[in-house]
Amino acid sequence: MEEDRGFWHSKLKEASERNSSSKDANLEKWRKNTLKPWEDKTGYKPREFINSSAIEIKDVYTKNDLPEDQDKLLGLPGEYPFTRGVYPNMYRGKEWTMRMFSGFGTPEDTNARLKYLISHGETGLSIAFDMPTLYAYDCDNKRADGEIGKCGVNVSSLKDMEVIFDGIDLSKVTTSMTINAPAAVLTAMYFSIARRQGLSLDKIGGTVQADILKEYIAQKEWIYPPEAHIRIIRDMMIYCTENVPRWNYISISGYHIREAGSSAVQELAFTLADGFYYVEMGKNAGLDVDQFAPRLSFFFNSSINFFEEIAKMRAARRIWATALKEKYGAKTARAMMLRFHTQTSGYTLTWQQPHINIVRTAFEGLAAVLGGTQSLHTNSYDEAMALPSEEAVKVALRTQQIIAEETGVTDTVDPLAGSYYVEWLTNKIEEEAYRYFDKIESMGGILEAVKNGYIQREIASTSYRRQKRIEDGKEVMVGANKYVESDEQPINILRIPKEAQDRQIQRLNHVKATRDGKKVSESLARLRKAMEDPDTNIMPYLIEAVESYATLEEISNVGREVYGGWKEPIII
Amino acid sequence: MSKKELQRQERRSWGRIETNINELVSGVKENKFSSIARAISMVEDEDPLLRKDILRKIGAPTKKAHVVGITGPPGIGKSTLIGNLSSGMMTRGIRNAVLAIDASSPFTGGSLLGNRIRMQDKLRDSHVFMRSLANRGEKGGLSRSAIGAVRILEAAGNQEIIIETVGAGQADLDIMNLADTIVLVLAPGLGDEIQAIKAGIMEISHIFVINKMDREGAYFAMKDIEDIVSMDDHSDWKRPVVGTTSKDNESYNSLIEAILSHRKYLEMNNSLSVKRKFMEMETALEDEINENITSKLKKKLIEVQTSGNKLSNDKSDEDPFSVAEELLKNFLEYSVE
Amino acid sequence: MAAGKNQSSSKQRPPKILLAKPGIDGHDRGVLVLARAFRDAGMEVLYAGLLPTPEEVIDTAVNEDVDVIAMSLLNGAHLTVFKRVADLMKERGIDDIALVGGGTIPEEDKPALEALGITGNYGPGTPLSTIIEHVQKRAAEARAKKLGQD
Repeated sequence: MEEDRGFWHSKLKEASERNSSSKDANLEKWRKNTLKPWEDKTGYKPREFINSSAIEIKDVYTKNDLPEDQDKLLGLPGEYPFTRGVYPNMYRGKEWTMRMFSGFGTPEDTNARLKYLISHGETGLSIAFDMPTLYAYDCDNKRADGEIGKCGVNVSSLKDMEVIFDGIDLSKVTTSMTINAPAAVLTAMYFSIARRQGLSLDKIGGTVQADILKEYIAQKEWIYPPEAHIRIIRDMMIYCTENVPRWNYISISGYHIREAGSSAVQELAFTLADGFYYVEMGKNAGLDVDQFAPRLSFFFNSSINFFEEIAKMRAARRIWATALKEKYGAKTARAMMLRFHTQTSGYTLTWQQPHINIVRTAFEGLAAVLGGTQSLHTNSYDEAMALPSEEAVKVALRTQQIIAEETGVTDTVDPLAGSYYVEWLTNKIEEEAYRYFDKIESMGGILEAVKNGYIQREIASTSYRRQKRIEDGKEVMVGANKYVESDEQPINILRIPKEAQDRQIQRLNHVKATRDGKKVSESLARLRKAMEDPDTNIMPYLIEAVESYATLEEISNVGREVYGGWKEPIII
Repeated sequence: MSKKELQRQERRSWGRIETNINELVSGVKENKFSSIARAISMVEDEDPLLRKDILRKIGAPTKKAHVVGITGPPGIGKSTLIGNLSSGMMTRGIRNAVLAIDASSPFTGGSLLGNRIRMQDKLRDSHVFMRSLANRGEKGGLSRSAIGAVRILEAAGNQEIIIETVGAGQADLDIMNLADTIVLVLAPGLGDEIQAIKAGIMEISHIFVINKMDREGAYFAMKDIEDIVSMDDHSDWKRPVVGTTSKDNESYNSLIEAILSHRKYLEMNNSLSVKRKFMEMETALEDEINENITSKLKKKLIEVQTSGNKLSNDKSDEDPFSVAEELLKNFLEYSVE
Repeated sequence: MAAGKNQSSSKQRPPKILLAKPGIDGHDRGVLVLARAFRDAGMEVLYAGLLPTPEEVIDTAVNEDVDVIAMSLLNGAHLTVFKRVADLMKERGIDDIALVGGGTIPEEDKPALEALGITGNYGPGTPLSTIIEHVQKRAAEARAKKLGQD
């Protein structure tokens, strides 16, 4: 513990020494002889210039703002510390993956959509789930009334997953499932379907989000106390490392942390801190860091402050590589590489004058590309109030294609490298992240900092501060607090018909009526035993339970009884 | 204007409450949560007449309640501890209620009543009444509403009334004065915070709790406090040090035992709720003075200022004290007549 | 503030607000911002935490004797869930606590919510000042009812 604290503390000291810029005599002269007279003559005085992380931006950056060993901090593309990108030729070799996330009401709707995508050459499927599924309540739970199929597809039992993947060969696609608290159950269902298709598990690939720490931090979708979820993820990690080598069992997500109102630095620091926790978890479980670290991937937000976002992504790669090498003893380059998916910000979109969101998304997407992302989802312009329309999705996809094929920004690797401002900002953001790591370590680690509410309060304060800046007009949102058009009405959201809910409940009733009740209760009893014993891996028991058609809620209720629930610390 | 008329005019029109007040009082005595809640609002209101009215009608309790103040630095799990303590008491058939105090902003008067969230599930399951009170930043304001709330909860038949405070500041000490038993909650690894606390609340606490006993350093923390307590020489009450952890429900039983034996100790010395009775009377007296003297004098002062009728020897420009003295003197003479 | 002609010289206590997300919905950026904004506007603010049932929300509102329950949902279930809260209040004969709504609520749903006595129903991007003003107004109405001044 002491040793750990030492690591981040010394990194922080190193970085802040590196970043303390020496006095630039030339610049001082320029300020006096050129800038000042100009300001006096024109009367143009500078406004306040700060970014989302409350970092103050200077008028001009020069070589003096960078440390002597700046080149060492950069390296070359595809080489440690990967600041300039994880691949040597980046987009000159292969463009990023344009992955558009989609969620649909019933399993039947989703199945039709997936088949449509496959027939158009898509092989990377992406599935969103509705709220009751994310919290592991079945569709017939009274609390789920009115929420079935609203924000994604509903899954209450294996039967629903069978419908979703009906007629789809799982060896020919990879599937990304955006699910966290019940991730292990959904993973078990997916594995079960693969086995029924006669596939051995090393033939299938995919991703579950399963980043439970960020749930407690930002998205707030949990079932049990943190330790219980962490243990389940650990089991999934071990099981997959042994049996499903192409399964990405954690996608460490900053996206939701940012959408919860954090700054760029907070998104970066808290996400990487989560990542370090998972690395430690794997190591403690006896896994080889060079074997499992390459399966960890990241998911960042690209927001509206252009250079701040780019600097954040570049800093992220450098910090991750440094920590994996120096702190966690990784030996292979693959284990040190931070690969990430990016989604443009939802927070920055306005329901007013919705078409201007296209422009925002274009800039945010461009920042992600200049930041070296591996895949990208661009938001649709109507996403602030609605599930996106088909036309809006097309515009969003075309935006990516324009960035890739018209703008020329992909012609060379990491085109912004060497910009005094971008490199200074990258270094500065890195330092600020170290400051948080140091603080978190001194609190006893990220889990403790989340359990006592420190991280959540930090985000809530930033979020409130930003909201007030918007209200005071200090931060501009075109169309919302400046250049406002009167008499605008928000557009309407897409409605999922109530029949979706009725259909789900019908299917669930049918499952319950036709399954073998004895098998269900026996498999749940065995699952309970496994859950009670921290040394037993629960994955095989979860697979057995889902195959007996025990429902998502029934399975999770076993955990609710064994582990209890969880109440948030005081945040307000 | 006669005294009565003045009073009538000052009195807010609270028709619905007035017609329902007897109903409200019987609701309180039947431990009806909605009635208790509304009655507490009435004593929280900064209208002394409203407060007086409801508390009078509620009258003396049939059975005295024991008030337990729980304090300690923020972030050491007081709320979770209270949830467990309170439901543990219910299991033993000891009816209790919880008051949680939060700080208000001295500038806006607003406050975030955040303590509820950590304990509400436990309390709800055990059917315990819980209420948040804001310390409105006014001197004595909080203890005034807390005193009233305690009276109401006592009338509702609660044997134990648990008060949680923010763990700092003058308001906290005021509330602690109201408590028969003060429980100071600490946790392992506090270090500096313990030093800061030692200064004030340490001396007046009756029971020490080391929470989060499952943590590293817990036994050292306990030993530290035991060392301090072993030097006690000013009382017959041997101050116990209790360890608790949310991982072990049994651990709360020893805290309940400690609280109950301090109650017994107080009862044997006839000192249960003695401090509280004095505070009640003191507050009532302040209210009376406020209502009958201060507010009238202030009115008089405004009259004097706006009407231009100067006092006999007007020195208000250079000396506000002489104005004050003369106003009070006139008033007292008038009242005596 | 309730404008009674016999308004006492003593001040009324601040409006007391319960913020709640009574559905399966973890989007709490908005309520957490509102909590601070209401506090800074001089109100006493309670937060019901995540995933309370409508019954729990009402129990808390009654025990704390709040003036307003401010509900927020961004999961599209407002018609079902807000209505359940309003129905329960009616069932229990509570008419002196005001209901205010917010979240992703389409224009066309607003009349139905208003008919249940749920007002405001503000969407994302509404200025805090607009929400605060409305909540203060509803709180004053509820307080007046409690004091029999309606």
